[in-house]
Amino acid sequence: MHSTGQDQQKTFSIWRRLHIDVPLLAGILSLMILGLFIVYSAGGQSIDMAIKQARNMGIALIVMIFVAQIPPLIYRKWAVPMFIMGILLLVAVLLFGHIGKGARRWINLGVFMFQPSEVMKLIVPVMIAWYVSQKNLPVRILNVFIAFILLLIPTLLIARQPDLGTSLLIASSGIFVIFLAGSSWKLIGSCAVLASAFAPILWMFLMKPYQKQRVLTFLNPEQDPLGSGYHIIQSKIAIGSGGLHGKGWLQGTQSQLEFLPERHTDFIFAVFSEEFGLIGVSVLLLVYLTIVMRGLWIAVHAQQAFTKLLAGSLTLTFFVYVFVNIGMVSGLLPVVGVPLPLVSYGGTSMVTLMAGFGILMAISTHRRFHA
Amino acid sequence: MSTKAVNYKPKTVAWRFYVVLSVVVLIYVSLAARSAYIQVIEPDMLKHQGDLRSLRTSENEVHRGAIVDRNGDELAVSVPVQTVWADPKTIIEKNGLAMVEHWQALADVLDQNVIDLKNRITKNPRRRFVYVERQLSPAMANYIKQLKIPGIYLRKESKRFYPTGEISAHVVGFTDIDDKGIEGIENVYDKLLTGESGKKRYRKDAKGNTIEVIEDIESTPPKDLILSIDQRIQALAYKELKGAVRAFKATSGSVIVTNVHTGEVLALVNSPSYNPNNRTGVAVHRLRNRAITDFYEPGSTLKPLTVMSALEFGEIKANSIIDTSPGWMRLGGRRVSDPINRGKMSPADILVNSSNMGTSKLALSLPKDFFLNKFFEAGFGEQTGLELVGESSGIMHQRERWSEFELAALSYGMGVAATPLQLARFYSTLANGGVKKTLTILKKDNNSNELDNSNYFEESERVFSNSNSMAVVKMLETVVNEHVSKAKVDGYRVGGKTGTAFKALAGGYGNDYVGMFAGMAPISHPEIVVVVVINEPGGDLYHGGEVAAPVFSRVMKGALRLLNIAPDANSETVVLASKGERTNA
Repeated sequence: MHSTGQDQQKTFSIWRRLHIDVPLLAGILSLMILGLFIVYSAGGQSIDMAIKQARNMGIALIVMIFVAQIPPLIYRKWAVPMFIMGILLLVAVLLFGHIGKGARRWINLGVFMFQPSEVMKLIVPVMIAWYVSQKNLPVRILNVFIAFILLLIPTLLIARQPDLGTSLLIASSGIFVIFLAGSSWKLIGSCAVLASAFAPILWMFLMKPYQKQRVLTFLNPEQDPLGSGYHIIQSKIAIGSGGLHGKGWLQGTQSQLEFLPERHTDFIFAVFSEEFGLIGVSVLLLVYLTIVMRGLWIAVHAQQAFTKLLAGSLTLTFFVYVFVNIGMVSGLLPVVGVPLPLVSYGGTSMVTLMAGFGILMAISTHRRFHA
Repeated sequence: MSTKAVNYKPKTVAWRFYVVLSVVVLIYVSLAARSAYIQVIEPDMLKHQGDLRSLRTSENEVHRGAIVDRNGDELAVSVPVQTVWADPKTIIEKNGLAMVEHWQALADVLDQNVIDLKNRITKNPRRRFVYVERQLSPAMANYIKQLKIPGIYLRKESKRFYPTGEISAHVVGFTDIDDKGIEGIENVYDKLLTGESGKKRYRKDAKGNTIEVIEDIESTPPKDLILSIDQRIQALAYKELKGAVRAFKATSGSVIVTNVHTGEVLALVNSPSYNPNNRTGVAVHRLRNRAITDFYEPGSTLKPLTVMSALEFGEIKANSIIDTSPGWMRLGGRRVSDPINRGKMSPADILVNSSNMGTSKLALSLPKDFFLNKFFEAGFGEQTGLELVGESSGIMHQRERWSEFELAALSYGMGVAATPLQLARFYSTLANGGVKKTLTILKKDNNSNELDNSNYFEESERVFSNSNSMAVVKMLETVVNEHVSKAKVDGYRVGGKTGTAFKALAGGYGNDYVGMFAGMAPISHPEIVVVVVINEPGGDLYHGGEVAAPVFSRVMKGALRLLNIAPDANSETVVLASKGERTNA
């Protein structure tokens, strides 16, 4: 981060001591502030919702700062037990989980609903990074294969809930680790071939009808404009009616008048686009890009294979979040339930994301001590 | 800055990061591009779609105003009717088809096959609107309402009804299926009759709540229109005309009755006519309002204008004597003649005998421009101001060169063409003491018709002197008294002039005649002008005095009585008037 000076001891700032990465924090906070405004607007100008979201953000920030204090090597040590624990929880969810919105994703802990798949978003990259970094890099085929198996278990368990969005994110987080660990292009190529061969099987046997419908809708949303295509058509209309300058904060007709479904969660980008236009979208994308760049910088400058891979994976997963959400809202990708990170309303995914940023910050700030 | 981590080869991983980096940037650019595409390149369609979802316009329906005659008798009214429509989606959702007996009852009352009826529902299960039957009477609608079949609804509509049928069809006109006036008064005053339905543009949200009212146009209530037509005279005129057209085997005919002081048209009928309440299969020619669209050479009916011009110029007096010997003359190689040599005649005699020689001599004694101007001033070649669609202005050439023969022909109404309405206007001007009025089809007194308005203005212009007008009117009385007994009306002094003209065809004259009669009454203080045109009488009788004068007489008689105009036949002025002297009644 700071100058690569010789006596880093002196440059250790107060932030360093607090294990806070300032550029990352700046990006995160600006997104959060932006998010608050949009949630207020998208939520029908409900101050309650904005306050709740602010509280979520506060909790998430605390979690991030807390996680940032933990030296990355601790994760490495606890990777395997955590992974096994996570898998057990996922199995438990499938067996005894609480059903909500047609999916079995939660475990009722009495006080609150716990969503093991969220935690797995962090545990999986840690686990894969741990496994791969033990071996000599670049990884060999056998190790890649084992890593894939490790990755497949939680992915399939989550896909069974069903939670396509999360399983996709988790799978990609693992794949990023394997990719960054230096699998050969030959391997990547054959994996791609394998994946595309797998697609029909996925379509025929694994995907639920509603998931198939989403893909079909994505390919041609106009076929059922009032049914499954409604989300995406409304969302495109909202984005498009923003134009270059947008209609202004709280002025978006499609969102304010509730034509847009899920407008404060997954489709908040459409609200944002309608109210702030292309200029706003460009700024938003730039902030996201800044965060991703900073994450990659941290990864490049991490001192160990484990931290490097972990940081890379966390950053790229964050990037996938952004890409999948905006892609889906603007009709580039099928509808997959992925929120716009740090902007969409909701506590759980934000806490997970911020914990991830905590790990990134830990990697960025703890490296001196563990070199 | 990468370092000595034990177990990895920095270079491999480093360039992988660059690959990742470029992919990330690429994807961001594509996201931005996608956004730009939607927001800047394609936004019009999407904005429009957005408005489609949130903008609504509602109209407050209003009933079309009625058209009534000057006494308030209805000529056109809107009657409420009910339309039955179905919402197949609701019917199916609520299992409405299960009510077998109710559906049978519905089919019975509508005289439809119950299976067909149900099929129309089941074949469109997702539609929200299907007509079942339009324009039902309130009684039937009420019955259907009480069946209470879910998804079957009634909607109010209105239907135009014309109580007077074919009698006033040409004047009133009719509306199309959407209640828009397309002929006659219905067309000309469509806006007034329709009013302006209130319009509201507003934005609503997905739940249907109104969010903001963008535009709210107050409705202007439709107005009833009071015509100058007197339906009683109208009916009489139609009856007489229809009878005459049939009796004389004519192809068509028109009658116009005007109030000379106000320019109001009291009756305007044509035969053949049509039933505006059922226009299916009506031949197009029947729709023609011939009284305003068709023009004929007025022939002898224009002779009073020639006499008038001569009086106005001062060339002659009412008691002057014009020598028409030897009963014929040659003008530029063409011959003008009377059937016999009538010798010396007064202007009244010229009219009584309908002498072509007489009018020709008078015309040629006048400066050309003065003579021609009188025709224009009398309203030939211009519209009458009636404002009905399709009115013709006839033919009155506006040219520099007129040969003597052409001027002579003009003096007895040839080489000029006029609609029956123009003829009526000229006779009204005469009867009104020389003051030309714009004719109107709307009742004139008080403010019965609130026209805010642009397209109507009253024009009143003196074109002949009062004394000369009265003199000519009295000559016309002599014409009736001495020559056209069939035009007489018991108890009233009546004046008028016959006209019989060959129908002009392209490049000459055919074998068909037009028989005309135009006149006014009572002569002591003229009130009413009646013009009768019988087109192409097919029988042995064709002369205006034979075919048109009887119609004139009966219509005039009826009109005078209906309007409570006092008989004047016994007043002392009869004798004086017959001598062509100027007197005041």
